Amino acid sequence: MTTFSDKDILLEIKDLEIQGYSDETWIDIIKGVDLTLHRGEVLGLIGESGAGKSTIGAAAMGYARDGTRISNGSIEFDGMELTTATEGERRALRGSRIAYVAQSAAASFNPAHKIIDQHTEAPVQYRIQKRLEAQEDAMELYERLRLPNPDEIGFRYPHQVSGGQLQRAMTAMAMACRPDLIIFDEPTTALDVTTQIEVLAAIRDIVDQFDTAAIYITHDLAVVAQMADTIKVLLKGEEVEQASTVEMLKNPKEEYTKSLWAVRSFKRDQKSRPTDGTPPIISVKNIDAAYTGGEKVLDDVSFDIYPGMTVAVVGESGSGKSTTARCITGLLPPMAGEIQFKGETLPPKYTDRNKDQLRQAQMIYQMADTALNPKVQIHEIIGRPAQFYSGLKGQALKQRVDELLDLIELEPSQYYHRYPPELSGGQKQRIGIARALAAEPEFIICDEVTSALDQLVAEGILRLLDRLQQELNLAYMFITHDLATVRSIADEVVVMQQGKVVEQGAKDKMFKPPHHPYTDLLLSSVPEMDPNWLTDLLEERGVENVGESADVNQEPPDGTAGDTKPAS
Amino acid sequence: MGIFVLGYYGFLIIASVILAYVGWRKWFLMVFALTLVSFVLGIVGGAPALRFVAIFAIVLAVAAMVSFAFKEFLVQIVRPNIAKELRTAPLTASFGMFVIFTYAIGGIFAPLIAPYGQAEVIAGAFAPADSDMLLGADQLGRDVFSRIIYGARNTVGLALIATIGAFVLGALAGLLAAVKGGWFDTFMGRVADVIMSIPSLIFALLMLSILGTSSWVIVVVVAIIYSPRVFRLTRAVAGNIVVMDYIEAAKLRGEGDWYLIRREILPNSTAPLIAEFGLEFCFVFLLIAGLSFLGLGLQPPIADWGSMVRENATLISFGDITPLIPAAAIALLTVSVNFVVDWMLHRSSGLKEN
Repeated sequence: MTTFSDKDILLEIKDLEIQGYSDETWIDIIKGVDLTLHRGEVLGLIGESGAGKSTIGAAAMGYARDGTRISNGSIEFDGMELTTATEGERRALRGSRIAYVAQSAAASFNPAHKIIDQHTEAPVQYRIQKRLEAQEDAMELYERLRLPNPDEIGFRYPHQVSGGQLQRAMTAMAMACRPDLIIFDEPTTALDVTTQIEVLAAIRDIVDQFDTAAIYITHDLAVVAQMADTIKVLLKGEEVEQASTVEMLKNPKEEYTKSLWAVRSFKRDQKSRPTDGTPPIISVKNIDAAYTGGEKVLDDVSFDIYPGMTVAVVGESGSGKSTTARCITGLLPPMAGEIQFKGETLPPKYTDRNKDQLRQAQMIYQMADTALNPKVQIHEIIGRPAQFYSGLKGQALKQRVDELLDLIELEPSQYYHRYPPELSGGQKQRIGIARALAAEPEFIICDEVTSALDQLVAEGILRLLDRLQQELNLAYMFITHDLATVRSIADEVVVMQQGKVVEQGAKDKMFKPPHHPYTDLLLSSVPEMDPNWLTDLLEERGVENVGESADVNQEPPDGTAGDTKPAS
Repeated sequence: MGIFVLGYYGFLIIASVILAYVGWRKWFLMVFALTLVSFVLGIVGGAPALRFVAIFAIVLAVAAMVSFAFKEFLVQIVRPNIAKELRTAPLTASFGMFVIFTYAIGGIFAPLIAPYGQAEVIAGAFAPADSDMLLGADQLGRDVFSRIIYGARNTVGLALIATIGAFVLGALAGLLAAVKGGWFDTFMGRVADVIMSIPSLIFALLMLSILGTSSWVIVVVVAIIYSPRVFRLTRAVAGNIVVMDYIEAAKLRGEGDWYLIRREILPNSTAPLIAEFGLEFCFVFLLIAGLSFLGLGLQPPIADWGSMVRENATLISFGDITPLIPAAAIALLTVSVNFVVDWMLHRSSGLKEN
């Protein structure tokens, strides 16, 4: 680990306070944070959502987002005070000396222009390079970032390259003017684990090569451990602690940091299939499926889910996990094969199923924001299934809602008349669980239920799901791309790739070698809490053998593999 | 130089000095710029020009104060959650609400407010205004003021019913199209296209010449003409909502279309629909006034602003402003409704000012 001298200070933030406007008053979002960044240093900012990571990242460019203002403190960038600088002076810095890489590259590129035209915009605007020079420079950067066909890829439109490639192209764009500082705002959160590695490796290399300072914002500790020299932990707009990466990982001082480190500790005993001949509660039998006019997205998928067990379905995005769930619920009738519930075949279309069959296919969604109607009160959201299926009314209905709220550990009197937007992400997800439970199902599909949540909150949801499973003997189909979640909660694992089941079996078997090559790739791509993990992995596999380039039989390079599920 | 002119300049200079001292830069610039402009204006136009400016400024100030007071009044009397929204209303919106409120009172209590009946002949043709007739008499000797008041009831009432009709038709079709999708959606879309492809005024004139000019025919025809626009908006808004996970959850639960529309989609689309309602109301109102002006709207002797403009139109060549009064009533209401709608659109689009 390199040490930095005080002479090389690039960015110094002192006692920064930022306020946000809400409900007609100014509320403190950042409450006095100090930050020092040296040339060539990579600082990791971590914390839960709402901790103010992105706000500080934007403030490092002298920028306050709409509805926020910098109310106190100083931001000094290379001797220039940004809080008092004019807007013109600050603009001159952005793009040329400070660059920004956003979470979703797909949303940050303009889909109507070619990638390279967007890349050359900044150098041409600042008169650093002529257009053609800038284009050549862009190709060189693409090569350094190990993008395939560096001479050609820039002339494609953003939708013609995959998510991981786009994220690397965006990093190249940030590098276009050789800035002194780059702010990475969760650049890999929306990517699959296998894609994440190549983006991480590329970012790390290029930052090293040009000796650029960087602020790396993320909520994923294992990722930040690979990237940062120094880690700063934030909680609700205040600094918890700061230390060098090695120091921070070895012995965190504060309770909060320790609790973050301990998150992945939740494990429960693995259950095995019942041996007394109980039929599986859901049995997926050889289904093929395709969306209208498209290619086959599911190809001969079969697996069984037994009562009271959790089956995790894992795979990258685009592997058909969610499509399988849509087939089970009846939203997408399969082209071939059938879905059996306790041995009897379910009608393929949900409109043909009767109330009792519908009751059995309850779902919990990834994005609780879109899964709950923002204009309907909590008691109605939860009460409606009970009213609809069981015909409860009046006092009985109220009692049932109270019971459900108790079950998900929310105080009934407090939440009964609230609306979803008034709740936090974790609470919303709990309401989603309660709505599924209200139908009294024996089987629930959990579609990435924890991936949009902070780790501590996600842990709470997992514990809740586990408790409910024990109390109500529920079976879960747990769709996820997060193998840490699989380790903690699953009994059986189904690995999917390109619409096919590549491997399935009990969890302990699946996590032990020998693996199917794809399972192996997935497993080894999950970042670990070891600062040398990425280096070791790259050495072991070779730089060319990570990510998309690793899976030989994957889609062609111009496919749109990657990032359709934003996870934060 | 009269006392008025001295007082005029004195007031402006003192006001700008005070504003500069207090530090309200924007207001100071405005007032002082007005002072400078007034120098030129005073030389060119003399005291009458300055008087005009003064009256204009006073009217503006009174309107602003009334709007502010009206807003504060509303904030005090309504429920807290609505009051919170109301507080964000700009002065223009509260002015609009005040005018709409005044028109509503005028329309509802027309027989009590108007001194004479709408068809009552009380004086000679075109009799000038006096203490008995505030705005004089029209071409048959009827009190113009009373007819304006009754006009608020007839014209605005008719426009309101027609707009509600257009909304019920259009919104229902739009919601159903969004929920059902498929061929139903396509079919309704084409029907809307067909209606929209016919020029609205010509369509209205045609239908009214064929079916006669009873007020129910006007309502139905206007509602049909304007429903496709509502249909398109509703379908677009609802189209964004039906793809949400909570709709999928409700569908999987086995809920019917009517439940989806009523409980899941409508509560989430009210804001743009209300704003659209205001906007459509203006168009409908103008169309009805236009039809009346052409003689195909409400029939005499019912007071109607559009026909009042036409009946008194000859007076304009004598320099009398009587025909402009109903026209001004139409303009004021249209502008006011637009003020309120602007504010609502701004709110529902979620734009925040820096």
